[in-house]
Amino acid sequence: MSVARKALEMTKAATEAIVQRAETRYEAHRQEILRTTDRMFAGLMIGQWIFAIFIALTFSPYGWQGKVKAIHMHVWIAVFLGAAITSLPVALAWFRPGELLTRHVIAAGQMLWSALLIHLTGGRIETHFHVFGSLAFLAFYRDWPVLLTGTVVVATEHLIRGILWPESVYGIPNPEWWRFLEHAFWVVFCISILIPSCRRGLRDMRVMAERGAELEALSENQWRTSSVVDRAAAETRGDR
Amino acid sequence: MFVMERAPASDKSRLASRLAWIAAAAWLAAVAGGFAFLWRYKSTPAPGGALAPERWPAASAVARAPDRATLLLFAHPRCVCTRASVAELARMMARFHDRVEARVLFWTPADAPRDWNATDLWTSAARIPGVTVLRDEGGREASRFAVATSGGVVLYDAFGRLLFRGGITAARGHEGDSFGQERIASLLTTGAADRADAPVFGCALDDEPPARMARAGTFTTNRGGKR
Repeated sequence: MSVARKALEMTKAATEAIVQRAETRYEAHRQEILRTTDRMFAGLMIGQWIFAIFIALTFSPYGWQGKVKAIHMHVWIAVFLGAAITSLPVALAWFRPGELLTRHVIAAGQMLWSALLIHLTGGRIETHFHVFGSLAFLAFYRDWPVLLTGTVVVATEHLIRGILWPESVYGIPNPEWWRFLEHAFWVVFCISILIPSCRRGLRDMRVMAERGAELEALSENQWRTSSVVDRAAAETRGDR
Repeated sequence: MFVMERAPASDKSRLASRLAWIAAAAWLAAVAGGFAFLWRYKSTPAPGGALAPERWPAASAVARAPDRATLLLFAHPRCVCTRASVAELARMMARFHDRVEARVLFWTPADAPRDWNATDLWTSAARIPGVTVLRDEGGREASRFAVATSGGVVLYDAFGRLLFRGGITAARGHEGDSFGQERIASLLTTGAADRADAPVFGCALDDEPPARMARAGTFTTNRGGKR
């Protein structure tokens, strides 16, 4: 085998090693982001549950019938429906972090939290900002299909409620047929910016992984070279 | 050299994955059921919410405006759902203050302590320009106007003829436009509306609703149907 061919094969092998190393680094980084975001959402879900109970206890603690008071339905809803929404996302974030199902369940759960908080605050328009804040948080995954799951859940909830009870979604009893599209437009507007941002984030991660792998290979080569030199120097010293 | 390879899934991990998917489906169904329950609770009107008489009751001690319409909102001072009705009344008064006079009558039990009505709801209602806030001792006026539910509204013209009876929120404790508001706005601006009533959402004003209201039994839904 010629020296040139041998050098070419060695270069090819070194390049493949760098590519594989870059892939490993990229996957490890991505897993770290997914797991960290799962954990963040687990904490957020529990926080939202406590907040919902606080809201219910503060603003609607009792329902009345004349002089007779009873715990308001909002309190029970906040406790039990809140617990139901929180349960699976937190369990999956705890037991199966970083998995595909976990982040999609979390996306659905986060959007359901938006819906519940809107109900508990009496349909206040300000609470609807929770939807857009949640979409921004879901972008932390840098996994754009998660944003689609969130959008589908919020759109389905709006669609069903809009058909059965339009006033609660659109604020007017007889909305135009296209009113659903107006609401959907703003969500699509939000995710149309977030999705490219997620993809750019992944591209940046890949570039970082490749540079890291190159640096690793370089420092490994340097270490090999210096150990050869060291050995040669030691042998020279020993010969003396 | 180390290369990360995905290990083939074991039977145990495949089973765990399958269980997770089943749990996700069950979770989604349970949460959807919870929301359905919540929607039903919020969108179910009170029975016999407002069945006001066609003429202003002669026995009423509440003053009626001689030159414009008079709107009465009956409220339980501690009903949190009625906050939305008061908020909507404020919006309506901002729009129609020159066409209607409004009074909010707070239901007060006969043996209630002095501070029974000292609630945020009373304060909010008292702050609305063009609105007079009154105590309805023992629910006498509510009985005269046959209003059994907090948030119930009656609207009479300057001649004492009933124009509208019902609620001004779209659901229990839910702010936003509603059929009731739309109809009142139409009555005040054009003198006509598709219907003269709307469902009422809120707490019961009395421990025991008056017999005539209990007999009435039915209530109007948002679409005008009966339940």
